[in-house]
Amino acid sequence: MSKLIIDDREIEVSPGTKVIEAAAQLGIMIPRFCYHPALGSVGACRVCAVKFIQGPFKGVQMSCMIDAQDGMVVSTTDEDVADFRRHVIEWLMLHHPHDCPVCDEGGHCLLQDMTVSGGHGIRRYLGKKRTYTDQFLGPLLQHEMNRCIHCYRCSRFYQEYSGYRDLGAMQSANRTYFGRFTDGILESPFSGNLSDICPTGVYTDKPSRYFGRRWDYQRSPSLCINCSLGCHTVASIKYREVKRQEARFSEPVNGYFICDRGRYGFFYSSLESRPRMARINGKQCTFNQAQHAMIEKLEEIKKNSGSAAIAAVGSLRSSLETLVMLAQLCQTKRWRDPACFIDSSQVQNVKTAISRLEPQLRVSLRDIERADFILAVGADPINEAPMLALAMRQAQRNGATIVVIDPRPVSLPFPFLYLPAAPMALSAYLGSLIKAVVNRGTADKMGDGARKFYDRIPEGKKLAEAQPPLSSEMLQSLQQSRRPIIVCGTEILSETVLSLSADFALLLQAAEKQAGLFYLMPGANAFAGGILSGEKDSFLQIIEQIEDGSIRALISVEADPFWWFDDRPRLERALDKIDLLVVLDYLDSQAAQRANIFIPTATFYESGGMLINQEGRVQVAPRALLGGIPISQAGGGDHPPRLYDVGIAGFDPKAAWLTLADLANGAAQEDEKALQQHLWKQISDLIPQLATFSSIDEIPQEGIVCSCGVNIDSRFSINWSAASNIRHDSGDDFDLIEVDWTFGTEELSSLSPCLWKLERKPCLVMHSGRAEIIGLTDVDLVEISTETGSLEAELRTADNMAPGILVLPRHRKLAWQIFTPGKIRIRKDQIRKKQ
Amino acid sequence: MAEALEAIKALATGFATTFKHLFRKPITEEYPEFKRTLPERTRARIILTRDPDGGERCVACYLCSAVCPVSCISMQSAEKEDGRRYATWFRINFARCIYCGLCEEACPTSAIQLTAMFETCERDILTLVYEKEDLLVDHGGKDKEYNFYKYAGVVTQEGGKGEHIKEDKPVNVKSNLP
Repeated sequence: MSKLIIDDREIEVSPGTKVIEAAAQLGIMIPRFCYHPALGSVGACRVCAVKFIQGPFKGVQMSCMIDAQDGMVVSTTDEDVADFRRHVIEWLMLHHPHDCPVCDEGGHCLLQDMTVSGGHGIRRYLGKKRTYTDQFLGPLLQHEMNRCIHCYRCSRFYQEYSGYRDLGAMQSANRTYFGRFTDGILESPFSGNLSDICPTGVYTDKPSRYFGRRWDYQRSPSLCINCSLGCHTVASIKYREVKRQEARFSEPVNGYFICDRGRYGFFYSSLESRPRMARINGKQCTFNQAQHAMIEKLEEIKKNSGSAAIAAVGSLRSSLETLVMLAQLCQTKRWRDPACFIDSSQVQNVKTAISRLEPQLRVSLRDIERADFILAVGADPINEAPMLALAMRQAQRNGATIVVIDPRPVSLPFPFLYLPAAPMALSAYLGSLIKAVVNRGTADKMGDGARKFYDRIPEGKKLAEAQPPLSSEMLQSLQQSRRPIIVCGTEILSETVLSLSADFALLLQAAEKQAGLFYLMPGANAFAGGILSGEKDSFLQIIEQIEDGSIRALISVEADPFWWFDDRPRLERALDKIDLLVVLDYLDSQAAQRANIFIPTATFYESGGMLINQEGRVQVAPRALLGGIPISQAGGGDHPPRLYDVGIAGFDPKAAWLTLADLANGAAQEDEKALQQHLWKQISDLIPQLATFSSIDEIPQEGIVCSCGVNIDSRFSINWSAASNIRHDSGDDFDLIEVDWTFGTEELSSLSPCLWKLERKPCLVMHSGRAEIIGLTDVDLVEISTETGSLEAELRTADNMAPGILVLPRHRKLAWQIFTPGKIRIRKDQIRKKQ
Repeated sequence: MAEALEAIKALATGFATTFKHLFRKPITEEYPEFKRTLPERTRARIILTRDPDGGERCVACYLCSAVCPVSCISMQSAEKEDGRRYATWFRINFARCIYCGLCEEACPTSAIQLTAMFETCERDILTLVYEKEDLLVDHGGKDKEYNFYKYAGVVTQEGGKGEHIKEDKPVNVKSNLP
């Protein structure tokens, strides 16, 4: 520890801390442009000058470049440094244009703040200003290079931090330019962060361009629900609509940044097509009418067919409150247990992941940055959870080896070792990795079960056939690693692989490594859905029971089966068969359009609530806005109507759990506080870690990691004979896997118009060798036909993927829902080239 | 006796003064029959002015609404096709305005100006809410010359990069020649 004095106040900091950070810990904000805690120091802007009075350094120095050391006495307010900083800002302002009124950064501009606080008020330089031509950088960022002060934050973030190469510095000296070589859409799915980190207005947010100033926005902490990581955001609201979303710092989750899917995935909340009125059989009615009709109809069905004839579907984008309320409602009314997942394999995967996330194994995104070996099994970070890729990039920058074993053609913005393996072969790979890294003695330390497990790992021939083989580089770096982490997706794997990954992590810990385990999950609140679901509660089961006539009514809570259920014709037949479909949602989904009774609900921004991310972290977002039709729509683009009125138009929707509470009690409930307290009791019973808090408001910002559902008995219990039974790829048919892409496949973000331009064209991906055999080439238009329908898409071939696999994105532009849920196998004669 | 004389004298002087003034020209200005020209800096009804080329000066930068102590200004900013920033709607509630002039002081483009027009009494309070079409005039108000976009450096019809007042030609980023 080093002890130093800054502005007459003493502070002790850990070695390696820069003076600028030490001052920040004292609450002294030394001016900075180029320094950023995540990007480090470069000493480019010269504005963080401080005066060293005593110690190893003397005089005016840059506080971001010097490590805090014992005996330093530092002054940030000395006359010399104040004068120095004033001059630096004057130099930076020489060429700065006179355009603050039309610049979106105005109001939260670091350069504006420093110019004012530094005391540079009147321009002395009257010569000509340097100008730059701007570029088109895509739908997310507006470029205005005249404003640049050359702090290099953008190129450092873009190239060093996130690993993309298409934006950087050009030219030299006074003419340095930041941009792309030619105009074009930025390749990085993290490009939105440039608008956050640019200290002035070179990159400004395009979708919210000119909409408001920072001081006009109601800014509220929120959480991202566009994937399972649960990144922290700040929602900016003006005139009753969420207009902008920025990253909010969170130590354990997302750090300083978020991905573009999360940043721009909020447009669904204020779409003009968002239903604000309840509907009965397609006719608009008041909220109360619809609620009465719902209660009445459900009573009737209960009388005629019994309460087990009513089923409910929950959603992975609902808050914990809604999911718990739904589960409780089903229990008290003796309905069928709610289903949150598509089929039983999805439920079991999530439940397995939850049961294996033991406290000593689970790691946060921050821990991933510190890992020195990362093994990603069946996970495609950049497409499934982009911020995971950014965390892995940091590990890679610090020297970690990254190994990806996946059937898909995975691409990441950094070098990694890749093994294209069919999902079936993954357990074999893991088995041989275990054999290579862990010896029997180590396994023995974990007890009898572990030893037996180790002994049963099939040796020799079967594993050797796993192609391509593990390279010695992989094995060596795993052996040498001290902090290996296994990242595991839950979408395309079998539960055996999920278990095996956890067992592997346990064995690595036994081998005295600080091993960790990180699962990805299929939705923002999949963890909660997993806790609340039974082993067999799946939507597929509901469909089966509708088909055999035992279910007569379906309540869908913020869920749209049309979006995610594999077999659309079957779904349509099933929904035609039931007597009542009730939909509670904030999207105008297909299910909502078909509903007999539709009741609008509040978005996550309007209701607030709790989410459990894939790590088991219970996080809270407060309500960010009240709701109501945005001014821009109420006024039809013009000024809002001049009316005195009570209440807000379009204010009907309330949080889904409140509507469910009304349904549970049979009448509208007045006392929201009491309901909340009752619900809090239920939630804290479910999650024991929350029992120490008396209300939702006490949960700390970084959340509480819960370990409910952990089952230590499931350690080392996999069935090797089933797991190692690798089906030989006959070359005749394909295993079809449905995958997510960064843009275009996730339900909420696909409603954001600004992201449409970033979507890749939907295509099927096939191994190039296999395509050649069946006479197909890259960019052919192909048709896949199944018993239920056919699908037309462009075919792309790739070399870096498992051969017997056909990859299909669940793209919004593709009517892909023509398959039977479960394992999908496509024969080669089902694939036809279209002329 | 002397006191009585004193009183009569005082009374007579008073009447004499009044009598004298009967034949003087009155100095009271009868309003509204007579309307005095007020000084240019009088702070009354607010207008939105135009630049010498006829373009709307207001760039809807939200500074006036931010500085307004009674929050009587609201607006919505947007971008025109040629790159100019403008107000899609702009509303001043004169029922609330205190005519302090801070908006005029804050305005970076000389768009919002207070004028001497103070007669804004209405019976219906809603008619005191002025929209952009009520506020926008077709002259430059007190500042006839200034055109913000000739200095700002952003690309509009007023000029591209390097074509504004006191600007160098854009840097050629693909050449290393000095």
